[in-house]
Amino acid sequence: MNLIIEELKQMQGKLEEGYFPQWVVTDPEIYKLEQEKVFSKTWLFLAHESELKESGSYITRMMVDDPILLMKNRKGEIKAFLNSCSHRGTRLCTEDYGNKKAHTCPYHGWTFNLDGELIGIVAGNKVYGEKMDKSEWGLRPVPRVESYQGMIFGNLDPNAMSLEDYLGDMKFYFDIMLGRSDGGMEVRGVPQRWIAKANWKMTAENFAADPYHVQTTHRSATEMKLTPSDPLYASYGHQVVLQNGHGINVITSATGASANKYQGMPEDMWTMFERNLNEKQVEIFSKVTNFVGGVFPNLSFLSSCSGSEGVRHNHLNWRVWRPIGPEKIEIWVWYMIDKALPEEYKEKSYKGFLATFGAAGTLEQDDTENWARIIEASSGTMSRDRTLSYNNMANYLMGFDNVEIDETFPGPGEAYPTCYTDHIARSMHKYWLELMTKESGGEG
Amino acid sequence: MQGQMQLSLQEEITQFYYREAYLLDHRNYREWLDLLAEDITYVMPLRVTVENKMGSNVNQEMTYFSDTKKDIAMKVERLYMKSAWVDDPAPRQRHFISNVMVEQTGAPDEYKVISYFLFKRSRSSEANTEEIFGEREDLLRKVDGDWKVASRTVYADQSVLTVMNLAMFL
Repeated sequence: MNLIIEELKQMQGKLEEGYFPQWVVTDPEIYKLEQEKVFSKTWLFLAHESELKESGSYITRMMVDDPILLMKNRKGEIKAFLNSCSHRGTRLCTEDYGNKKAHTCPYHGWTFNLDGELIGIVAGNKVYGEKMDKSEWGLRPVPRVESYQGMIFGNLDPNAMSLEDYLGDMKFYFDIMLGRSDGGMEVRGVPQRWIAKANWKMTAENFAADPYHVQTTHRSATEMKLTPSDPLYASYGHQVVLQNGHGINVITSATGASANKYQGMPEDMWTMFERNLNEKQVEIFSKVTNFVGGVFPNLSFLSSCSGSEGVRHNHLNWRVWRPIGPEKIEIWVWYMIDKALPEEYKEKSYKGFLATFGAAGTLEQDDTENWARIIEASSGTMSRDRTLSYNNMANYLMGFDNVEIDETFPGPGEAYPTCYTDHIARSMHKYWLELMTKESGGEG
Repeated sequence: MQGQMQLSLQEEITQFYYREAYLLDHRNYREWLDLLAEDITYVMPLRVTVENKMGSNVNQEMTYFSDTKKDIAMKVERLYMKSAWVDDPAPRQRHFISNVMVEQTGAPDEYKVISYFLFKRSRSSEANTEEIFGEREDLLRKVDGDWKVASRTVYADQSVLTVMNLAMFL
């Protein structure tokens, strides 16, 4: 491990020059180190509050390999625990969701209430005597659980910075996507889930940092006349680099605006948006065609305006790229919509989402092919060996020295006036490298 | 006599499914499209893991697709594009259809048909194969002597799909 950290440290300079070694993408040792250095230290998305409606509602999630149980208690608070009985470690709840007053372990019958407290032990007093104090054996909580605009995150590091500090300027953009409507947003049904051959870093980069792939990967959409034929169409707008490896692409059009004000949402909602957002947020939101970006490490989002025959409907989808190995991910996709929208609009928006993104969406399908091809070509000796004369570096040179920050952009962050640039990608990998090479000290 | 008739209907419908599978597996998507009624609804809800007391482990609120014939036609046309990368080079695929159960409906030319499916796909030179399995609930309609799929609901048995995309038709 130390050897690999040394090697990573030597990489630092290379990355600043726009190179990222291909071998780190799928290296098994890197993958192990990521569990400790990245996924145990950063904020991971768990759920949206609309997924837990009433008291007793529960859902199960994963923080990489840790099964998590989220429950809404009697006071309406949502709590998150390791989904494992404190007696012998059995997975307590195997369902995706449901509603219960208490969860009973099928192994020996220990029962936990909505606050994770141990409330029932079979034959308790008779078999445990005085030694056993029930209050010490509740479910183990996720060390930190915080939320912003209804998005609930967990963190395994008790000393981590707060979620709000971690999100930093991303909050400004979260407000636009999640806080623009009275009543907020709601998740429809449950997330879609499927397994893909991919590395989480590359899928996260694909959403947060890479509108450049759109014109080639999704060329079939252009061939079908669903998207413009101008090869630069996904480049218009701003790529905004944020702190802690986050980033967002604010995509507009050649004119700097969108054909559909407020992403095609009904006019009678506009005053509500203007009331809920500040002037700068309104300026960005009124002109945007698509927001696409990511919260480091593995949460991505796309707020798009899709549909056919000129009628376009907004939808927001969130996705978690849950790593299940260096070469495999489980994709989770949530579809979200403004509660305040009329039902008819919601239905059309939902259909637009299914047709474009999600496992069967025409745009989504071709992405998986490229992700698999990265894996296929990144594990061999020639792509991994560091002593051969090859460079073995992936190219992150786009926009390296030919794009300047646009100071007039109204939103926070470093805004570059094109989305065809590797600024966010370089920033993501730089933050990744920082975490990976950080000494694990501090806890004494 | 009744039994004979039933058997021939069963046989006819089973043959229809075999032909449908053959067309899909041989990528004759446009011909396959002709087997679908103009008013078809083609839906794939999510299979979920929930307690038995909830009655159903299908979540209808969210689907993987919810298509009309026009939506399907668009997907079909995409597969003939030179840049539908996921299908060029084409993966090899097989639809195995079995356990066909035919039920009468109120309408004389319409039958409710349950069938089981196993879909296998081999991509590139990969050793691992992808698969998806479950059951389909169809409404089949006889139109001018030809069978048409008037509606199809696909229920996969996996709550986490083990196919890297849903570019195929089930």
